[in-house]
Amino acid sequence: MRQLLIDIFSFEDRPRYERIGFLIFIIIVIIFPWIVKSAYGRAVMIKFLLFALFGLGWNLIGGYGGQVDLGQAKNVGFGAYATGLMMLWWGVPFWITVPVGMIIAAAESFGVAYPMFRLKGHYFAIATLCVALVWKELFVFWDWTGGARGVEIPIRSTPDFIYMQFGSPIHYHYFIFFLFITQLLFMNWFRKSKLGYECQAVRDNEDVAASLGINVYRTKVIAYTITGGLGAVGGSFMTVYYLYIDPDFVMPLDLSILIAMTVMVGGAGSMWGPIIGSALLIPLDMYLGAWLGAKKRLGIDFMIYAVIMMVIAAREPKGIWGIIERVRKKRVG
Amino acid sequence: MELTVQLIIYGTLMGLVFALIALGLSLIFGVMNIVNFAHGEFLMVGMYIAYLLSTFLHFDPIISLPLAALAGYLLGIMSYHFLIHHILRGPMVAQLFGTFGLMLFLRYLAMYIFTPDVRSIRTGILVGKVLTLGWVSLDLSKVISAGVCLISFGLVYWMIYRTKLGRALRATSLDSEAAQYMGIDTKKMNALAWGIGGATVALAGSLLAHFYYITPTVGMLFTLIAFAIVALGGFGSITGAFLAGIIIGLIMVLSGHLVSELKFTFIYIVYFLVVIFRPRGFFGW
Amino acid sequence: MKRKKLFIIFFAMIFLGWVGSSTLFAQVKEVKIGVILPLSGPLAPIGKSLKEGAELAADIVNKKYPELDISIARWEGIPNLGGAKLTLIFADSRGDPGWGAEQAKRLIEDEKVVGLMGAYQSAVTKTASVEAERAGIPFINPDSTSPDLTKRGFKWFWRVTPHETWFTRDLFDFLDGLVAGKAPGVKAIPKSELEPLAAAGENTEWGAASLAEIEKFAKERGWKIAESFKYPHKAADLTSESRRLIASKAPTFLFAPYVADAILFIKTLKEMKASPRLIWGQDAGFIEADFYKTLGADVNGILTRDLFSPELAKVKPVAGKLNEMYKKMTGYDFSGSSARDFVGVQVWAHVLNNAKSTSPEAIRKALNELNLPGKELIMPWKGVKFGSPFPGDTQQNELGSGVINQYQGYPGGKLHIIFPFEASTSKLIYPFPGWK
Repeated sequence: MRQLLIDIFSFEDRPRYERIGFLIFIIIVIIFPWIVKSAYGRAVMIKFLLFALFGLGWNLIGGYGGQVDLGQAKNVGFGAYATGLMMLWWGVPFWITVPVGMIIAAAESFGVAYPMFRLKGHYFAIATLCVALVWKELFVFWDWTGGARGVEIPIRSTPDFIYMQFGSPIHYHYFIFFLFITQLLFMNWFRKSKLGYECQAVRDNEDVAASLGINVYRTKVIAYTITGGLGAVGGSFMTVYYLYIDPDFVMPLDLSILIAMTVMVGGAGSMWGPIIGSALLIPLDMYLGAWLGAKKRLGIDFMIYAVIMMVIAAREPKGIWGIIERVRKKRVG
Repeated sequence: MELTVQLIIYGTLMGLVFALIALGLSLIFGVMNIVNFAHGEFLMVGMYIAYLLSTFLHFDPIISLPLAALAGYLLGIMSYHFLIHHILRGPMVAQLFGTFGLMLFLRYLAMYIFTPDVRSIRTGILVGKVLTLGWVSLDLSKVISAGVCLISFGLVYWMIYRTKLGRALRATSLDSEAAQYMGIDTKKMNALAWGIGGATVALAGSLLAHFYYITPTVGMLFTLIAFAIVALGGFGSITGAFLAGIIIGLIMVLSGHLVSELKFTFIYIVYFLVVIFRPRGFFGW
Repeated sequence: MKRKKLFIIFFAMIFLGWVGSSTLFAQVKEVKIGVILPLSGPLAPIGKSLKEGAELAADIVNKKYPELDISIARWEGIPNLGGAKLTLIFADSRGDPGWGAEQAKRLIEDEKVVGLMGAYQSAVTKTASVEAERAGIPFINPDSTSPDLTKRGFKWFWRVTPHETWFTRDLFDFLDGLVAGKAPGVKAIPKSELEPLAAAGENTEWGAASLAEIEKFAKERGWKIAESFKYPHKAADLTSESRRLIASKAPTFLFAPYVADAILFIKTLKEMKASPRLIWGQDAGFIEADFYKTLGADVNGILTRDLFSPELAKVKPVAGKLNEMYKKMTGYDFSGSSARDFVGVQVWAHVLNNAKSTSPEAIRKALNELNLPGKELIMPWKGVKFGSPFPGDTQQNELGSGVINQYQGYPGGKLHIIFPFEASTSKLIYPFPGWK
């Protein structure tokens, strides 16, 4: 038990500069709403934390597991719909709907993972993409989910910690920060767990992993299942944050790709990659969109965004974390 | 009966066009193992070229076919030299990501230049003509497009399997390093694959412009359809892309007739089922 | 090392921008209204025309246009606010509900707008209006038609345009009118000639709501429906859907697509030599300039639910003049959509003028007391007055109305008003002449 707690809360194995950086980051996030008065700045922060949360989950399969999954949006959708529908139908409190959403998403992931991991590389990536699109279309098709008309959660006028509805963004800020930290600590544990090492061994070389006695197939399926569950948390948050969900909003292809991309840009397979990636991409996207999005000539914001993406892909395929690592190695060696 | 026959004809015609769209994607993948998210945007470029030539220079869209193919070829080569060459050494995610950036760039460049307005070509010897065979009435431009698709497939097939250049290309796709030792300029081969890929898809775009609307965001849907086709047929397989294209066209039309809302769902499910039993698609290697 | 420095500078810049973006340069005598529209993404063509409609209205409020016979043209700014200029601040929703909500936040608190307007897509309006409701800022919605929006009992949300229930009632009034022989220039049509109906709508919030309303009213009014289905929007191909409509042997086709799919539907039906007696489109795609510019002569005879027609100039000279101005600015006519955003800005101007203040409470009061006569508007409406026209509606304009238009004599032709029959500007072309 004690060992478990140490594994969860300890970052001792990381180098000092990482720990200091992490501490500074945590402090900035905590005091952020008290320094920044701009509502958009706060909204950007919340969205950044949301995508960092998504990224942390995706990093498990995409980074540590090395499997390119382009269907994470379906899990976001499961979480969002579990919360939305249960709240709407039966008035179930938010904190009960979250584990339900996670279980549904994990169960579905387990179900499709079984056949899907017969595939490798691009075939796997496209299969995940297809599965996510099938779910999205089914949610549009079904009437019981509200179909294309979506689910609307009635607005509450007073702050409510059972249904997690607040008038002020500060509440939401700490709310998402709490979810984010929980997931981060989970990933901290995972990284050091047996499963974590197995995943990394599978990513580095499947044959070697198998020869070490690791069941490659089983490892992948478990990793994919956990990823599914983790993805649902952010979806539940989206429901109570925006108070409206529809399939085009919570489970589109763009969301899957954006999640994968934030991790990729930050550096897949590293603890901090998803955080760095979303800290770069989300504010960049949102400020470019706000400043250049409604001008006479449209599209400049996306073009700048796209050029930055291409430059990173060409120059730093290991993401920003790759740069940091290199700089450090140079300094040490 | 009448209805079924008609639907099968429509499905086959659309399927041929889809197959031509997917051909380039399959070829590029076969040669260098990279999935191109910007594929639909190349299609969009082909459509805009046909539109520009027809509207401002009053070229018949038929004449613009080779010009669009040429432009697609140049665009493919350029993309290779400026972007793809540099992202090839990265991991698969970085590659996806780089081509996704290219996709956004092309799409919003088009939006910047042409505004988001929906356009279409209104003049041309094929535009809006209807061909009637008994009780089957078909858009003449679709029939001709399907024909052009067949011809292009034949040409590409001939090039790949019957010429020296094609042999070099195939050697590169089988083993890039070995090909390099044999004295094949693999960089040139990669660029060529992008050129041919760009040319075929831009050609498909200018054919599609005959009966489809043109707008900067038109590409994504076709990219997805092309993904499904290529994965179904097997990455890198030309015959696979051809057959899978027709199959997808048929599924789309037939399922669209039954449950229109779910027609893409059927495509994805069929793809999913096929790869589970044949993990490398019909003709993948 | 150089690169590292560059990256540090880069991050610092992003961070500074993030923190410092709240800086405002306050200007005297300016009233800011935030307008959220889909300016990129698939609905960008429509968003663009809506933006132009709103810009024209703001220009008319801010400058004197003596030739126009509406009160905002005589103003220079808002008179009761000391001639303060009306400034519209546009934000792109990208057609994404999340983005819409975030832009609403930015406009409300960072740009300090007095109120909001927009957002065309009902899904985006839903999330954006939640932000307005939370902040206690008035949100005037001129352009979303999902009936749900005004059924939420929001305190800070007002809708100017009639909604889907209304339009669908108009459609069935029109169909019943045809049977009763009220249509101009056409003898009474036996119901059997128009029945059954076949309807296709896209699978979005709006398309699904339209189809649901059509099915509901058909049942109420006793019209048979042969076929009613949703299809995936932004379709690559609509042959099977078109075939399905034809196979239903229904003489009346009803559609609810946005512009790209609307074009594709008509092209495909033409290719298949469909011969319906009546084609009716549910606004949106069917009234955009891109629709008739792209299809040319193929639009002739198509009916569409609408709110505006350039032909209104005959009965409403000011509408004609405004349309000329708009056409000069953009190159195409006002559509029912862009004219609605014009009205949205008009309503904002009048409300601010009546409120004599920019405090939310004063605006709220002015909105609830607003009674804007029809002669002020570009639309053929009786006026703008918020109430509850249908059961469950709150703060919904009850004096609005829709029209049903028919394309006649395109290209270069006119969009004639057919319904309401007493206001029609031309004879109905019936049956649908078919495509050549």
